[in-house]
Amino acid sequence: MLWYKAWLESRTRFLITAGTLAMFCLFVVLFQNQIQARGSPIPSGLRGHVYSEHIYNLIYSGTAKGIFSILVIFLGLGGLLRERAHGTATFTLALPASRLRLLTAQIGVGLSEMAVLALVPVLLIPGISPLVHQSYPMSQAFQFSILWFGCGTIIFAMAFLLSVLIGGEYTAPVACFILLFLHTVIALWRPLRPYRLNMFWTMGGVGMMHWGLQNTLVLSGPLPWARLLTIALTSIALLAIAAKVAQRQDF
Amino acid sequence: MLCYKAWRESQTRFVLSALTIAGLCVLFVLFQNEARTGFDGGPPTYVGYIWRIVYKGYVRELYVLLVLLLGVGGLVRERAYGTAGFTLALPVSRWRLVAARAVIGLSQAAILSLLPALVIPVLSPFVQESYPWTQAIQFSLLWTVGGTLVFAMAFLASVIFGGEYSAPVVAFVVLLVYSAIADMPMLDRFDIHDMMSGTGTPYFRLDASLITGPLPWMAIAVILLVSCCMFVLAGRITQAQDF
Repeated sequence: MLWYKAWLESRTRFLITAGTLAMFCLFVVLFQNQIQARGSPIPSGLRGHVYSEHIYNLIYSGTAKGIFSILVIFLGLGGLLRERAHGTATFTLALPASRLRLLTAQIGVGLSEMAVLALVPVLLIPGISPLVHQSYPMSQAFQFSILWFGCGTIIFAMAFLLSVLIGGEYTAPVACFILLFLHTVIALWRPLRPYRLNMFWTMGGVGMMHWGLQNTLVLSGPLPWARLLTIALTSIALLAIAAKVAQRQDF
Repeated sequence: MLCYKAWRESQTRFVLSALTIAGLCVLFVLFQNEARTGFDGGPPTYVGYIWRIVYKGYVRELYVLLVLLLGVGGLVRERAYGTAGFTLALPVSRWRLVAARAVIGLSQAAILSLLPALVIPVLSPFVQESYPWTQAIQFSLLWTVGGTLVFAMAFLASVIFGGEYSAPVVAFVVLLVYSAIADMPMLDRFDIHDMMSGTGTPYFRLDASLITGPLPWMAIAVILLVSCCMFVLAGRITQAQDF
């Protein structure tokens, strides 16, 4: 029942986000000729006019990645502080469930929704590419989904933690946006550059792409599991902090 | 008093946004030597660097997103909180309530757009560089106009969509769709992203990274007119809503 409650509270945001991602993927695939004919500048390292590169440029390394990253922030906004503002916190806390269970349900639903969002390109792109006489490897799409989900967990965890700490309705997403931007700036600092802390690079497979057989732009070698594990552990730590803070809050 | 109420409801978001934008500008100026070496194709000129990283890049994108979040809120959210009745009991029309929130939000967007113009020309001499005030002020004006449209989108969404966080999500999606449509050949003169950065416009010289021509007053007028229409529509919808 707690999971159902969390789903009802977040389903509108989730459905809008999923719809947007799906529509964008459809747009990129179905209008790929028109988009490429516009003659947009080709990023360095890419050849231009190759379907896999078009998909990579717009979906996995481009706009769709940005949509996913920004809208995951809104999926991560949870906690009980906003229920206090609405006057429903006492009802929720009166339920025969610990605060940890309440938050676990919110986190579980949020992460599940994020996993589904990360799978939207996998479900659509390889499936509809044949309609435009193209193909995109399912394995590539799935690997990118893993990267998106992995990196998305830390965005989700940060948004969740901030929504537990900060009470104003829109202050938490503002703070999360700011931290998301700041991390890209901090990652550019020379001493930190070798560690490639910019999460968007990891999500987009930057520095991990190469030209494979049949002139296809693909991810090189295995996924960065050590990095993804580090991100996952950091996310777990942030969520644990959020749970501890929520357990001690006075409603 | 209504303006003060609107200010109190948005002050935390505004202060965070202002500190971030100002802080980033300070960082980008003070660490310009190191940052300029990281660009593809060799280090740009100082003016080129400021354009690429502030007026075209990071700070502009952050500004757009933060202004979008400044635009949400309003009576529909107050209904969810249970305070709409108190607000509507005030001896003022709903138009005045909407107008107060719009005025405060637009003022905040304008102040945020002025921050780079205040910080960059003042701090540049400390790193033995200079950035023209005229350029900074012109970019601030362009940002204010672009920010007005983004604010209006979020404002209208906040009046229509009452669900928690639905308004900013919808506003973001609308902004995305607008960005895609504005890329089309006949509509690209109304692309606020290009207008705000000068990219691909007749009034901006890419080689010098400077605004050299007259600003696009017609496009600015159209964008402000569309924004006004959105505010009026938001006011009409608020008048007709049942709280």
